[in-house]
Amino acid sequence: MIIVYAGLLLGVLGLVFGGVLTFAAKKFHVEVDERVNQIKECLGGANCGACGYAGCDAFAQAVVDGKAPIDGCAPAGAKGIEKIGKIMGMEANVGERLVARVICQGTHGIAKDRYVYDGYKSCAVAAGLAGGPKDCRFACLGLGDCQDKCKFDAITMENGIAHIDPDKCTACGACVKACPRSVISLMPESQNVIVRCRNSDVARAARAVCMDACIGCGRCKKECKYDAIVVENGYARIISEKCTRCGECAAVCPCKCITIE
Amino acid sequence: MIKKTFKRGVHPHIPGGGKKATRDLPIEDYVSDSVVIHMAMNIGAPATPCVKKGDPVKIGQVIGTPNGFMSVPVHASVSGEVTAVEDIPYLGTGNVKAVFIKNDFLNTWEDHRPLGDVEQVDPSLIIPAIRDAGITGMGGASFPTHVKLTFPEGSSCDTILVNGAECETHLTADHRLMIEESRRIVNGLRAVMRAVNVPKAIIGIEDNKPEAISAMQEAVSDREGISVQPLKTKYPQGGEKQLIQALTGRQVPAGKLPIDCHVVVLNVGTCAAIADAVTEGKPLVSRLTTVTGCVNTPKNLRVPIGTRVEDMIGACDGFSEEPGKIFFGGAMTGIAIPNISTPTAKSTNGIVALNEKDARSLDETACIRCGRCVAACPIGLNPYKIKVAADASDFETAEKLHVMDCMLCGSCAYVCPARRWLTPSFRFAKDKITAERKAKAAKAAAEKGGANQ
Repeated sequence: MIIVYAGLLLGVLGLVFGGVLTFAAKKFHVEVDERVNQIKECLGGANCGACGYAGCDAFAQAVVDGKAPIDGCAPAGAKGIEKIGKIMGMEANVGERLVARVICQGTHGIAKDRYVYDGYKSCAVAAGLAGGPKDCRFACLGLGDCQDKCKFDAITMENGIAHIDPDKCTACGACVKACPRSVISLMPESQNVIVRCRNSDVARAARAVCMDACIGCGRCKKECKYDAIVVENGYARIISEKCTRCGECAAVCPCKCITIE
Repeated sequence: MIKKTFKRGVHPHIPGGGKKATRDLPIEDYVSDSVVIHMAMNIGAPATPCVKKGDPVKIGQVIGTPNGFMSVPVHASVSGEVTAVEDIPYLGTGNVKAVFIKNDFLNTWEDHRPLGDVEQVDPSLIIPAIRDAGITGMGGASFPTHVKLTFPEGSSCDTILVNGAECETHLTADHRLMIEESRRIVNGLRAVMRAVNVPKAIIGIEDNKPEAISAMQEAVSDREGISVQPLKTKYPQGGEKQLIQALTGRQVPAGKLPIDCHVVVLNVGTCAAIADAVTEGKPLVSRLTTVTGCVNTPKNLRVPIGTRVEDMIGACDGFSEEPGKIFFGGAMTGIAIPNISTPTAKSTNGIVALNEKDARSLDETACIRCGRCVAACPIGLNPYKIKVAADASDFETAEKLHVMDCMLCGSCAYVCPARRWLTPSFRFAKDKITAERKAKAAKAAAEKGGANQ
C-alpha cells in the first residue's frame, strides 16, 4: 500500500508545482523581440567577442536596439550579414570576405635563431626575453598566442610559424590583437599575391637574420604594370585595389618573399 | 643571539645552497681586453651615449648621460678606445645602445676628486655624489640609489637596513665582500646615514655566513648606531619586504614602498660603491660577480662593468661540461642569457652555468590542489588561483588576487609537486597589467591634454 501512497503524493506534488510554474511563466512573461532570436541564428555563434559585445546574445540585442551596426559580426560572413540586413529591413553593405594572413615565412632554418627558448609557451613572454628567440625583430615567434585566441580552430603552428586555414578563418581579428609582433593582418580573400615580410631594417641587416626577408630592392615594383606595389620602410607592400593578381612580381622576387596562395 | 626571519618561504634543496664551491675563495681581479657597456643600467629611462667611435676614454669617464631623475650616468670601466656604438639585444624587449671599448691596459683614470672622510664630509654633498657616481641598487633590481635616498614629500625614515642576506642559491659575492671589505661597507653606510640624517642602521646577514657576521660585527664595533642582526637561512630572506619584516617587524602594505614604513633598504654592494664614491670620488666601474656552476674553477671575480660572459668563463678555465643554461643571478630568480657574448651590468651579482640535466624544463601537469604554494608564498598570495586566471588571460581576476604584489621569487614554483610553471605565468600577467595601466594613464593624460586646449 505504501508504494501507492508515495506514488500518489509525488503525482499530486508534480501537478501542484507544474501549475505554479505554468502560472509564473504566463504571469511574468518577458517580451523578446523575435528578431533577436532570428539574428542570433545568423551569427557565428562562437561568442568570440570580436564585435565588442559580451557575446552573440548581447550583439543580437544591440543590433535590434540599433546600437550595433548590422555588419558588426565578422564570423557571420557575407551571407549572414545579408540575412541580418533582411531581418532588420536595411540594405546590407557587404564587402569582400576577409581572411587573416601571416606576414612571415621565417620557419626554422630560414630565420636565424638567437637562442633556444624552452620557457613559458607564450609569444608575448618570449618576445620580452632578449628581444625574442629569433634574430629578426619582426618575425612570427611560433609559440601560439594567436592559436590560443582562435575560436574557430583555424590556426596551426608549423615549423616555428603560424599557419592560418583560410577556409576556417572568419576574420574576427582575435589573432591580430593577440600577436605581440603584429605579423597577422586581415586581407581580402581574393588577394592571393602576398608580400610575406615586413622587416623594415636595411637590406643587409634584414638578410643577415632571415633568408626570406624582403630587402626592399624594388624589383617587384619595376615589374608591376599596374602600379600596385609600393616600397616604403624597407619592404614592399601590395595595394589590393590596384593589384590584378597576375603574379609577375612573385616570379621576379629575388628573396622569394612574394607568394601566391 | 636571536635569529629573526619572516613567515613562510622555502629551503632550496641544493647542498650548501650551491655556495660551497666559492664561499671560501678570496676575491680575484680580472680585466678583459674589451668591454661592452650598455646604456640601460638602471630601471627607468636609459642613458644616452655621449662618445663616438674612435674616441679615447679613461676609466671613470662619463660615456652615457642620464635622461631625467630616474636615470644615472654610465661610466667607462676600462681605459682605451671606443670601437663602436651600436644597438645590441639585451635581456629585455628590444635593443639597447651599447658602447664597445677596447682596453689599452694603461689603467688611466679620469680626474676624480675625493669628498673626504665619511664622518667629516658635508652631508648635502653625498646624494649628488652618489648620483654622479652612477650608483644603482646592486642586489639585482638596478633601482637608482639617489632616488631611493630622496624621500618623497611628507615621508620620513628612522632606520636604514643593509641587505647582506644573500639568500639566492649559488651566489657568494656579497658574502666575500662582507668578509674582505667590511670597512668599505660600513663607510658607505655611515655616508648614507649622515646624508639622510638617520641615526640607526641594521645589517641583516643569514646565519649560514658566520664569518661574514663576525667580520661585520668587528667593523661596526667602533661605529655608533649600527648593529648586525643574524637572520635564519631561508629563501627569500633577502627580498626587500621580507627583510623589513624580519628586521623591524613592519609589513610594507600592498603597492607601497619601504619608505612608507620609514625604512630604506640598501644592498651591501651598494654601500661599498657609495664608500668609493665619497672617500675616493670614484664612480661605479667594477663589481663583484660570482662565476659558478659547471665551470672548471668557480671564482669570485671583480670585473669591470661590461665584461662579456665568455671572457669571465675563460677566466674560470672554461666549462667543465656542456652548459644547458646560463643565468645572470642565482638559480631561483636568475634570468637566462641568450648567448655567452652578453655583457654584464651593474646588477649582475652572479653568473651560474647549469649543465643540461640541471637546466632541463619539466612539462607541467594539472594542479592537484595540495596548497603547498600557498604555504610557501612569502607574501601570502594564492599562487594556484592566480595561475588559473593568468593562463586564461583573465588579468582582471589576477589583479584582484594581488598578482601585482608578487615579487617573482619562485618559491611557489619550487615547491609545486605538479611542476606548475607558476612564476612565468605571474611575470606574464604582471607585464600585461603594467602595460595596460601605462596605456590607460597615457590615454587619460591625452584626454586631459585635449580638454585643456
